[in-house]
Amino acid sequence: MKTTLLLALALMAQQASAFCGFYIAKADATLFNDRSEIILVRDGQRTILTMSNDFKGDVKDFALIVPVPTVLQRDDIKVVERRVFDALDAYSSPRLVEYYDENPCQRWLYAEAAEMDMSAAPRTTSAMRREEKAAKDKGVTIEARYTVGEYDILILSAKESTGLKDWLIENGYRIPQTAHEVLDPYIKSNLKFFVVKVNLQQLSASGYNTLRPIQIRFESHKFMLPIRLGMANSNGSQDMIVHAFTRTGRVECVNYRTVKVPTDRNIPLFVKQRFGPFYKDLFARAHRREGRNTVFLEYAWNVTPSFNGMKCDPCVGPPPMPMEFEQAGADWSQQGAPTFYTRLHVRYARDQFPQDLVFQVTPNTEHFQARYVLTHPAKGELTCSEGQDYLEQLYYRRHRELEELNALTGWNVEKHRDYANEVKGRMSPGQLRKMEAPLGFPLKRPGGPSAPLMIAIVAGIALALLMIRDRSQLGAA
Amino acid sequence: MRSIITFLRRDARHFQIFFLAGFLAYGIAVLQWDAEWQRYLILFGTCLAVQTLFIRWKKLPWHSIKSAMVTGLGMSLLLKAGAPWVLALGAAVAITSKFLFRIDGKHVFNPGNLGIAAAILLTGQAWVSPGQWGSGATLVFLVGAAGCMVVLRVGRIDTSLAFLGAFAALDFARQVIYLGWEPEVWLHRMTNGALLLFTFFMITDPMTTPKAQGARIGWSIAIAVLAFLLGWKYWVNATPIWALLIVSAITPMLDRIWKGEAFRWLKSSDQAHLSVKSSPQVPSPLR
Repeated sequence: MKTTLLLALALMAQQASAFCGFYIAKADATLFNDRSEIILVRDGQRTILTMSNDFKGDVKDFALIVPVPTVLQRDDIKVVERRVFDALDAYSSPRLVEYYDENPCQRWLYAEAAEMDMSAAPRTTSAMRREEKAAKDKGVTIEARYTVGEYDILILSAKESTGLKDWLIENGYRIPQTAHEVLDPYIKSNLKFFVVKVNLQQLSASGYNTLRPIQIRFESHKFMLPIRLGMANSNGSQDMIVHAFTRTGRVECVNYRTVKVPTDRNIPLFVKQRFGPFYKDLFARAHRREGRNTVFLEYAWNVTPSFNGMKCDPCVGPPPMPMEFEQAGADWSQQGAPTFYTRLHVRYARDQFPQDLVFQVTPNTEHFQARYVLTHPAKGELTCSEGQDYLEQLYYRRHRELEELNALTGWNVEKHRDYANEVKGRMSPGQLRKMEAPLGFPLKRPGGPSAPLMIAIVAGIALALLMIRDRSQLGAA
Repeated sequence: MRSIITFLRRDARHFQIFFLAGFLAYGIAVLQWDAEWQRYLILFGTCLAVQTLFIRWKKLPWHSIKSAMVTGLGMSLLLKAGAPWVLALGAAVAITSKFLFRIDGKHVFNPGNLGIAAAILLTGQAWVSPGQWGSGATLVFLVGAAGCMVVLRVGRIDTSLAFLGAFAALDFARQVIYLGWEPEVWLHRMTNGALLLFTFFMITDPMTTPKAQGARIGWSIAIAVLAFLLGWKYWVNATPIWALLIVSAITPMLDRIWKGEAFRWLKSSDQAHLSVKSSPQVPSPLR
């Protein structure tokens, strides 16, 4: 018995990874869900939340519980196609862009290419009555019961967490032992529970092999994502991508820092084949550097269909179509009203994210994209003196690219020194002598003085001025 | 070095300018804010320009320009906007309000506070980012320590303590005792950099707090209660800013009921010091 219990707990630790809620299994299934995606639409007091998951276990074991502020009506719940997420993800993913150097000895050629690699049983009425009575005894009320698409949905309200926990357990949901710690605050905040299971009959009738995203809408002051439930018994970190749409501008987090991922960096050409791992490591490093408790901005753009400006630079996928906005819940967009798209990426763990994520809509319409630049060297003969100077610059540039790669991802670049050194092979002996075997490489990125230096200078001048002013006042008065 | 300390101690605003600039530097260098030089320049520049106009017009002493610097820096830390004119408007409203909304020889609203509120409410193109500070331990220490130095020098530590104490107690009662969250949820809320900055650098402005100590404490608690209610009931963000704006409106009334000594940036001994022709080498009488 003891063994069984321990085993169950161990399995649950694996299962408890999900976005707003935790997946709760009815049997010992192996689940894997390290990345969830959300579409979060905010329009006034209205929130439309679409949840997608990469649930890989047996569908009959799938269950989901999400705290919601109101008792949702049948019309407030929809099932949408997974391709909406795919389209949004493809469009807003971090991007790699290629440029080609001109040959200073020839006319120049220019091309741009972009690459994207970021894939990232029917119940009887009497049974229902029994269920409802049992629920009532535990202080749990079944506020509503719907079948939407392939899902059976219950909206529960509860008086206290123990009753809710017991009810869920008795009805075959295995929930973490520590869940009541988070269920309690939600119950007292007057939240309801949106509980989802798969209706196997409906699923087989629908002809779908995978579970489609669920969309819910409600009116509430609260603009937040309850992530705490998903962390109830998990110590590991989970990733969540939020595709947010508003009428006015960017969505940002109110109770955690929202930080931009590093962008517009020049990186070595060989990263092209490993852009996926590159971005993964870059993100992990940025996450650590920022203290593991920040929300990252990956994309922000005006996506109003009638917007004449550049839709992306470069586009890694076609901009979302009006129909996709409609499916995502940004229904105003079809009438041509302003629509702003924010993509946030958060990696959260229990110890660094004690509070649920709270958001605000800002009028900030500044565009942002995570963009990494590859620059191909010039082709052809480079024997003219400009060509030789170009090679020297190319040599230094490649060193900088390697340093940048190391700084961004922590990858060991020593084994790639040839990437820079091969340029030397194309230099004339004269040019090599001119370089005079530099002792070190210019590691500083080109550009103006660094921000801290600027601040120090400005602060110094201000302080000096103030002191002079103060002294002259003392003297003159 | 010694002369810098002497200089800082001569006027509490020197401390404020020094620390606010330090926070801006910390934000840009450590917290990865975008260094929006244009924004800082507009806010700071407009504050100084408007203050200069009023100094000329009303024949005020030039040291009041330091107050405009404090306002400009404070707004640079808080106010963001999509268009430069919105920032200029906010800064202009902030400084102008000091000369237009005056009752009994005191301005009614905290200039930075009103400037931010005006930019947000009048244009709809401005916002504040309460999350930009995070809840870093270093920052908490920095803001707390720096804030204490400033408010102790100004003599408004009662305002900070009453506000923070009341707000923390109410939030603890709701989050931990009633809702049952772990204390770290509450701690995470209380260590928010924006809240601490507000506590030590905005609410403490001696020119817009009630003169009598008792009234001041009651006033701070009223702000805390309102901020708490707005956050809880209406899910408003950056609630202390709105609460301060609303409660400031009753400050003149409190001043009439509970009399107290008006605050002056330069203590009478400093004023005397300024009025007597003395060499700058004379050590500050504050030492």
